[in-house]
Amino acid sequence: MTTTDPDEPTPPINPPIIPPVSPPNAPPMAPPVAPAVAPAAAEGGGGPRALARQRRRASAARFWVRYRAHRSGLLGLAALALLALIALTAPLTIGSDVQSVTDAPGRPMESPSLEFPLGTDQFGRSLLGLVVWGSRVSLLVGLLAAVLSVAIGALIGITAGHFRGWFATVMMRITDWFLVMPTLVLAIVLATVLSRSLGTIILAIGVTTWPTTARLVRAQTLAVESRPYIERAKALGGGHWHVMSRHVLPNVMPLVLAQTTLIISSAILSEATLAFLGLGDPTVVSWGGLLQDAREAGAVSAGKWWYLVPPGIAIAVVALAFTLCGRAVEAVLNPRLGVTR
Amino acid sequence: MDTHGRYGTRGTVLRLLAVAGTAALTLTVGLVTPLNPAPQRAEAKDGKQVLTVAVAQSVDSLSPFLAARLVSTSIFRLMYEYLTNYDPKDDHAVPGLATKWEPSADKLTWTYTIRDNSEWSDGRQATAEDAAWTFNTMMTDQGAATANGNFVANFEKVTAPSPTKLVIELKKPQATMAALDVPIVPKHVWEKVDDFTKFGNDKSFPVVGNGPFILTDYQADSYVRLKPNKSFWRGAPKFDELVFKYYKDGDAAVAALQKGEVSFVSGLTPAQAAALKTQEHVTVNDAPGRRFYALATNPGALAKNGKKFGDGHESLLNQKVRRALFMAVDRETVVDKVFQGYAKEGEGYIPPRFSSYFWKPADGQKISYDPAGAARLLDEAGYKKNGDGKRVGKDGEPITYRVLCHATDPPDKAVGKYLQEWWGKLGIGVSLDCRDNVSDPWLAGEYDLAFDGWSVNPDPDFVFSIHTCAALPATPKDVGATDNFICDKKYDALYDQQLAEYDAAERAEIVKRMESRLYDTGYMNVMAYPNAVEAYRTDQIASITKMPETAGNIYGQDGYWSWWSATPAAAGGSSDDSNQTGVVIGIVAGVVVLAGLGAFFAMRRRATAEDRE
Repeated sequence: MTTTDPDEPTPPINPPIIPPVSPPNAPPMAPPVAPAVAPAAAEGGGGPRALARQRRRASAARFWVRYRAHRSGLLGLAALALLALIALTAPLTIGSDVQSVTDAPGRPMESPSLEFPLGTDQFGRSLLGLVVWGSRVSLLVGLLAAVLSVAIGALIGITAGHFRGWFATVMMRITDWFLVMPTLVLAIVLATVLSRSLGTIILAIGVTTWPTTARLVRAQTLAVESRPYIERAKALGGGHWHVMSRHVLPNVMPLVLAQTTLIISSAILSEATLAFLGLGDPTVVSWGGLLQDAREAGAVSAGKWWYLVPPGIAIAVVALAFTLCGRAVEAVLNPRLGVTR
Repeated sequence: MDTHGRYGTRGTVLRLLAVAGTAALTLTVGLVTPLNPAPQRAEAKDGKQVLTVAVAQSVDSLSPFLAARLVSTSIFRLMYEYLTNYDPKDDHAVPGLATKWEPSADKLTWTYTIRDNSEWSDGRQATAEDAAWTFNTMMTDQGAATANGNFVANFEKVTAPSPTKLVIELKKPQATMAALDVPIVPKHVWEKVDDFTKFGNDKSFPVVGNGPFILTDYQADSYVRLKPNKSFWRGAPKFDELVFKYYKDGDAAVAALQKGEVSFVSGLTPAQAAALKTQEHVTVNDAPGRRFYALATNPGALAKNGKKFGDGHESLLNQKVRRALFMAVDRETVVDKVFQGYAKEGEGYIPPRFSSYFWKPADGQKISYDPAGAARLLDEAGYKKNGDGKRVGKDGEPITYRVLCHATDPPDKAVGKYLQEWWGKLGIGVSLDCRDNVSDPWLAGEYDLAFDGWSVNPDPDFVFSIHTCAALPATPKDVGATDNFICDKKYDALYDQQLAEYDAAERAEIVKRMESRLYDTGYMNVMAYPNAVEAYRTDQIASITKMPETAGNIYGQDGYWSWWSATPAAAGGSSDDSNQTGVVIGIVAGVVVLAGLGAFFAMRRRATAEDRE
């Protein structure tokens, strides 16, 4: 994790009281002359590039040391690494044939056995293989939807925090509108109106979950922009784009990263929910889709637990792992949350 | 839930109790068996015997002039008398509103004797005048002919010379005269209707009728409530109330049956049927169905005025392509894997249950599963594979068919997955378009293929009439009686011929030739005849008539036999006590959980006190 922050990241929570923009002739409050000055500069080096690289490395190392202190975060990270490995190697270990209904090896809804460790589904396909294969879709949708959601949120948050005025008012009212809309209902409407595909699901989740990120990022942007060095950058001729991309963005990045990790888990849950409600693409194997299949085949009332439990547990484990990681990242980046209990 | 009422009361204790009650309720709902093992009785507190039937299909309309869905037509059977009814044993015509019917020598004039002991529920006598008015309305008003227009298309004149005598004059002979599946409605109520295409018959209750039940209440997708007609001429039904309750989710309906909240569930999946077979007080009925389950192709939607509409794929206009597609469908697998044996392999259009009309293709004609042959046929038809192994249409684009499927019908999705692989191997893509309501794209002709199925009546005229050119919509904006826009001259000629044939054996022969023609066109490809798999609680229903009586279905019969004949099981048993125990256990568990949660949060609060600002 590389954070190119010139200073220590400020706490993302509690937007500070915005001080009025100081008059141009006010004496500078803090001594640093350039934002690049950091402890790492003392070690010397060849030029500002190397300096920056060195500083980034040090900052990453510092991050890792602090992250390591969170045992739950490590656990989540290990679980994620394992899951990612399973999902990425799935084409080698089980192959895409596992989805095939025409070549299904077993009888419909066989109970777990040596041949099928988790039993079979209504078509006689191995559920272990399906759960592994489904992880690819669930993880992919979760990641992409979270990235989309955070990207929208960050864009709106930074611009609203930077430009203020009527633009910020309009943006924030739109955010408020999305915030009060029930997410699930909005996502269902979107998924119904658009054609049924993975892209639709990603869009539906991404477009409905960004408001919290936007609010957080805007608060952080306001905090960053109230600092004197931003004023100096402006005085030296830095335009809107320069300030937003070179000073604000690096400072809100840690927050954005923490937010992404947290949103992934809710995006995976949303994907499962939408698929379970029958709004996903019925021909794609995903965990939520498996649950939906199980329900439609009558596995619940027939007591075929092996059809329901594995995808359910898989969803829970992934969501938990991402939440643990997100919490740990948040705690490392935000000193106020860093108190170990 | 009556706990809601208590929230208004001041006082922590009461509110706590209410919360605990709600929690207990939630718990008992969540855990069906452990906390609430005993079924609730069918009757309400005042001792009323209620027969509750779980249904999933939405009512399209409660107007007999418009509705075509199975659930609606089944309810009409209960609400209104038809001229004749079908015998539950062998489907022969038995008296309904008419006690006797006889043709003239030239078979062009039919005289019905209307019974004098059938009364509308508002006290008026049901007479031949009502029947004459019903038929005349359908003959003169296009809007009133939407649902059953096929029966009156050939009528010349309908008169009621006396209250007990109905005379129908025909243009040509018509074989369905003893099987006019048309509900007779009360003239004095319906003559006030201006526009039959708009009137839904669902505003004022109870709805005036003369069938074994009277419709007392209806909420779309929620319930249909009927009470018995005490003065019904064949005798009043035994239950005090009949409710069709909506469960859009099959598993929820089965859970309700297991709990005893509903008395009857139909359309079970194989897994559900297997599970219910082992349950006490539940009987599973697995009977040959009266439905066919088909794959319909869009033959190029067409209106009667000659205007083409919709956007069906051009390749499907080629008979070879349709044949090739069906050649690549392995019907044995559909029966074996999707229906898991609860179905018969599809052959002709009419299910084997109607043995006199059942037809199956001869060996030379039969489209057997042959993927290689299908690929050859497609090559012959000029739809060759491109470099990527995808077959391309005339426009040079790879072919991907949109298949309309019912999101509420699990077999549709399952078969869809098979189609995707079978046709995928041919180089043809499939995109499943599953919707809760397929009507919009269907009526607009905006689909390539669609899952289709109709329940067949003992007299098959109706299911054949929906494939004639006469059933096409008048203009692209209208709704016709047509199923999927089939218009085939040869088929139409046969249709007219069978309708005019009074000799049963001769007519059956012509019907079989129609089936053969339909089979060859490849517009309707019957994959299976699903069984009627249904279950009912024996501790709520003591006996119920199946149709056919020996091995028949209960839901969706051709007549009112099942619900009219159902007798309630004798009350009694200890279920009420154990039910109480269940509630008590539930409340205790709820309180324990709440207390635990409270303690947990209190401790957490204390532990984090310093951290909070």
